[in-house]
Amino acid sequence: MQLIFDNLGFFLTGLGWTFGLAGATLLIATVISAVVGTLSVTRSRIARLVALCYVEFFRDIPLLVNVLFVYFGAPLIGIPLEPFSAAIVSFSLWGGANGAEIVRGGFNAVPRHQRISAAALGLKRWEIYWYILAPQAILPMLPPFAGLFTLLVQATSLASLVGVGEFFRVAQIVIERTTMTQGQSPAFLIYGGVLVSYYVICSALTMGTHWLERRIADRTARLPATGRQAARAAATATGRPQESL
Amino acid sequence: MSYQFDFAYIWANGPALLGGLLMTIQVSVVSILIAAGVGLVGAAARVLRVPVLSPLIVGYVSFVRNTPLLAQLFFIFFGLPAVGLGLSIYASGVLTLAVWGGAYNVENVRGGFLAVPKGLNEAARALGLGPMHYVFLIAIPVGLRVSIPAMLNTAVSVLKNSAYLQAIGLAELTFVAMEKVASEFRTLEMFASIGVLYLGLVLTLSWLVRRLEDVLQRPFRER
Repeated sequence: MQLIFDNLGFFLTGLGWTFGLAGATLLIATVISAVVGTLSVTRSRIARLVALCYVEFFRDIPLLVNVLFVYFGAPLIGIPLEPFSAAIVSFSLWGGANGAEIVRGGFNAVPRHQRISAAALGLKRWEIYWYILAPQAILPMLPPFAGLFTLLVQATSLASLVGVGEFFRVAQIVIERTTMTQGQSPAFLIYGGVLVSYYVICSALTMGTHWLERRIADRTARLPATGRQAARAAATATGRPQESL
Repeated sequence: MSYQFDFAYIWANGPALLGGLLMTIQVSVVSILIAAGVGLVGAAARVLRVPVLSPLIVGYVSFVRNTPLLAQLFFIFFGLPAVGLGLSIYASGVLTLAVWGGAYNVENVRGGFLAVPKGLNEAARALGLGPMHYVFLIAIPVGLRVSIPAMLNTAVSVLKNSAYLQAIGLAELTFVAMEKVASEFRTLEMFASIGVLYLGLVLTLSWLVRRLEDVLQRPFRER
């Protein structure tokens, strides 16, 4: 216990990096998701194919391999990345692929007649997306994106493998240091504490996600039938099951 | 840049990669089978509301879902020996993956069970079927159609996550490749090969899952 208090500042710094990493990743991944997700619901077959390849590629290759590849592969194309940037790049590419599926589910959940009526009213292609589809699709996307953030917080532990000083790496360093100075490994205590900390953080985030889900369900319950349909469909129609980590 | 992609190098390291691939498949299959058992038992306890056990399983599922797999792995491999529960690399790996997949499978199986429409139970009773007959003749055949594809998706995730075991030094696919990268620096060749192998495995499996889902749903489709 003493050990944890002695290193409290160190642990908190690690947590700061963890959240920094997850937050920065979420921002970039959201942009990628919006682009790739929209491509996957356009009428152009090539755009859909590109989106499909992107999503499949990054979802089917283990994230760990992705992280190692970005870190060790980047110098070969002449842009050496330090661990933190490499982690952000690879998590963003992965998060973008998962987010794209959420965006696709959101767009697909908007009833077809919305798009058709808008076209009949003479709106341009981009106007249909921007004024008609996006506003209806965004609300049901929020809970899955909150879920994605929880996954990202957990995913950041992989950054420790390439040497980012986030929470998990800090724990490893504390264990190594204590083992060397005191001759006895506190791995059980520290890794146990690490698990509990992640659990507290992530279940709080999960609870937030459920709260958001209920709030949005309440809101859409008051909407006319189409809105409710959309919310229900979005909950189930995210294409493939949400990634798990 | 003067990096020359060398196909002959991949060919020369074929046997090593194949060994890693076999280890990946082996450790995944064992973990997937154990995880399936954990899922079935856990879901049964949940659905039957077994006292004490049922809330424990709720806790287990939420704990596994809300902690990173890497932390679970390190706790089992580095943490447990400190309290006298040392396991080999292989056993730690299987235990971690089975515990992880089991938690997801509890929800997969339970989801299938809950997907059985209530009307079927009432109909079964009206026809004079006892509870055992209901479970074996109606609930399981109907529920498993939902559960099995979900469990197979979890199995695919277990396969992908077996890459984590390179962190504790199990000689599976990623580990073999990383070792080669560290000693011979043919980074692109190695990552390209394992990328293709993982993609091939996962795409084949997901395709099979989709086909199976199609077959399982056939009786319920409108004609």
